[in-house]
Amino acid sequence: MQLAIFWIFSVLMLLFAGLVVVMRNPVASALSLVMCFICLAGLYFTLDAFFIGIIQILVYAGAVMVLFLFIIMLLNLKEEVARRLKLSAFFGGGLVLCGFVYAMVKAVINLPEVWQTAPKLETGGISDVARIGFKLFETYNMPLQIVGVILLVATIGVVFLSSRQLR
Amino acid sequence: MGKWWGVMLEEYLPALVHVVVGIGFAVVALLTNFLLGRAGARSKAKDTPYECGMLPAIEEQPRFSVKFYLVAMLFILFDIEVVFMYPWAVVFREYLEREGVLIFWSMMGFIGILLVAFLYALRKGAMEWSR
Amino acid sequence: MDIANFAEASATLGHYLIVSGLLFGIGLMAVLLRRNIIILFMGVEMMLNAANLSLVAFSRFHPVGGGPAVDSQVFLFFIITVAAAEVAIGLAIIVALYRAKQTMHVEDLDSLRF
Repeated sequence: MQLAIFWIFSVLMLLFAGLVVVMRNPVASALSLVMCFICLAGLYFTLDAFFIGIIQILVYAGAVMVLFLFIIMLLNLKEEVARRLKLSAFFGGGLVLCGFVYAMVKAVINLPEVWQTAPKLETGGISDVARIGFKLFETYNMPLQIVGVILLVATIGVVFLSSRQLR
Repeated sequence: MGKWWGVMLEEYLPALVHVVVGIGFAVVALLTNFLLGRAGARSKAKDTPYECGMLPAIEEQPRFSVKFYLVAMLFILFDIEVVFMYPWAVVFREYLEREGVLIFWSMMGFIGILLVAFLYALRKGAMEWSR
Repeated sequence: MDIANFAEASATLGHYLIVSGLLFGIGLMAVLLRRNIIILFMGVEMMLNAANLSLVAFSRFHPVGGGPAVDSQVFLFFIITVAAAEVAIGLAIIVALYRAKQTMHVEDLDSLRF
């Protein structure tokens, strides 16, 4: 059953990821990417990472992609005018991609114990949100504050970059 | 056969029902729209924006104000803050009993830093609508 | 396949790694083939998420103390946070660029100063 769900979500995810590349309309691309991220959250659920899956839906599909859609509508982007693809760029890109996929598959196949199923979990009734919470506030207090500073810097950057347009 | 259905019914039936109801609702809504909407079928004259007067020279979609996207970006940044509060709220009481008040001050420091960010955005007029 | 086997079957680490690699490849293709700067940015996000998927897969297949390796999930939490901040800044830069040049096409954005 887990294998079936894995196949459903991964095929759907790769399909929608492909649509992002193929679609000419930027809004269609952004909506395909939303579906791709939701299917990715489904893959996280098959890996027993429920909290990460929820975060994926909340932050990526819910907030980040909405911002993407918003920008596309703000800038009023129309469908791209089809320009001639440069053949050299096309084949160069294809070559890089094939080389990458070949290297990746070769590396994965040579990993030890890569075709064994996952070991059974003995969580003792503790949810993964509680595990992550304890780990976060026991070990990673300092990184949490640093993330706060990153968000502060990002806020200042966003306000500064837009302030020229506010006046 | 029995085993397969057993696993299926136990764990995934609620999710399956949810999916079926969701898709079914969408299909029924679209079908009803399609069937009942036949009476007022579209024609070229009906799709024009004005019944009389001048036709618009160019089709212009309404553009959003810059304010909207600034607010949307600030929304993402503070959305992240709330996301960090979920595990905090889940473990808060148990952590207090086991380890002490560090969890409280840790989150207060995080919120304090983001409060500075919020005050900065407020001072710079990022949330003002009237201008 | 036998139906009893089907109910028990679960995906292996190799499955997840190859799917993650394919997602990365599609993201790379979006960056290499498309000319719209927003689609390029989406491709970058896709590649980032492919890396996240392999991280979660490794955390599940190398459990620590009975559960999945929680350190990597906390790490992923931070990655998603930083990625969201990065998207906010990146899109602000893209909007500023669009206001200056009135184009989203990367081949028209070829000068380093405004």
